Amino acid sequence: MADNDRPDGIVLTEAQKKSRRQRSIAIALALGVLVVLFFAVTIVKGPAVLVRPL
Amino acid sequence: MSVVDHSAIELSPRISEADVADYVALLKPRVMSLVIFTALVGLVIAPVHVHPVLAFTSILCIAVGAGASGALNMWYESDIDALMSRTANRPIPRGRITPPEALAFGMTLAFFSVMTLGILVNWIAGALLAFTIFFYVVIYTIALKRWTAQNIVIGGAAGALPPVVAWAAATGSLSVEPLLLFLIIFFWTPPHFWALALFRSDDYARAGVPMLPVVAGPDATRLQILLYTIVLVAVALAPWPLGYFDAVYGVTSLVIGGGMLALAINVFRFREGREALRATRRLFAFSIFYLFALFATLLIEVVVRAVAPSIW
Repeated sequence: MADNDRPDGIVLTEAQKKSRRQRSIAIALALGVLVVLFFAVTIVKGPAVLVRPL
Repeated sequence: MSVVDHSAIELSPRISEADVADYVALLKPRVMSLVIFTALVGLVIAPVHVHPVLAFTSILCIAVGAGASGALNMWYESDIDALMSRTANRPIPRGRITPPEALAFGMTLAFFSVMTLGILVNWIAGALLAFTIFFYVVIYTIALKRWTAQNIVIGGAAGALPPVVAWAAATGSLSVEPLLLFLIIFFWTPPHFWALALFRSDDYARAGVPMLPVVAGPDATRLQILLYTIVLVAVALAPWPLGYFDAVYGVTSLVIGGGMLALAINVFRFREGREALRATRRLFAFSIFYLFALFATLLIEVVVRAVAPSIW
């Protein structure tokens, strides 16, 4: 088979594209929740956020 | 002509079609819901005020840590999951998620849940959560489950720790009350899982998992269920006379403990036929209600005391 007959890279099926989009959105949401959580706790604790007894 | 034979190279590596629901299934959501509930009780009965944001953070981290444990458990057990009807539909045996993907997912969640709990709440809770995940995955799943019939007795400690982690998150220390909750779940685990194992023993035997009914036989299992239930009912009742929980809890514990004991006696008595199967299924179902009712009573007590102190 000649080299130029092969498709360029990997072509995703519609199902693969859909599931990848879903996973990407879920990861984005999880990271968003993490950022909001850290922000909210920083506000709640105030300066005490640096005091973490072991 | 090309020097390299492209036909010999894998040009289309596996591309996942797993959707979010598959990853959610990897978290064992039903187990997670029980963990959230018991942890919530551990947090609420702590004698300190916890800011709602910190309470939410604690419960979220404990839930995600439990999910991580579930994912890592499914990663390690994918071979035996495929052999059992109860677990054959999990994402890895179905081919939706590969074991390395489950491992990466579980480790990522474990890392973030422990670090977030440690950084945002306190490191005693963070360390306890890390220990819980380690105990469930390494001690129970890897070291015990395939080697000893006492797997769920010792491994039950992992499932009993969430309220202790939650108490530590609230108070920054440990005390008798969370240890009582720990003991209740610890002694609840054997009768609950052995009841399940009695009517799923073919599954476990096919997968080579040495659950008690497979190794010691159903009769020995029925006796162990009865003995552990007696201990469970006593342990669940003890906090009342000892003064840790009050009379409403005590009476509830006494009544539903009586029900639990009666069903365990039935499991011991009926050993063959439909009666035996029915008795086992009833105990399994009631054991879930029993634990839920005990912990719900503690939760309701605290809520009523906070909302309408004059009623209590």
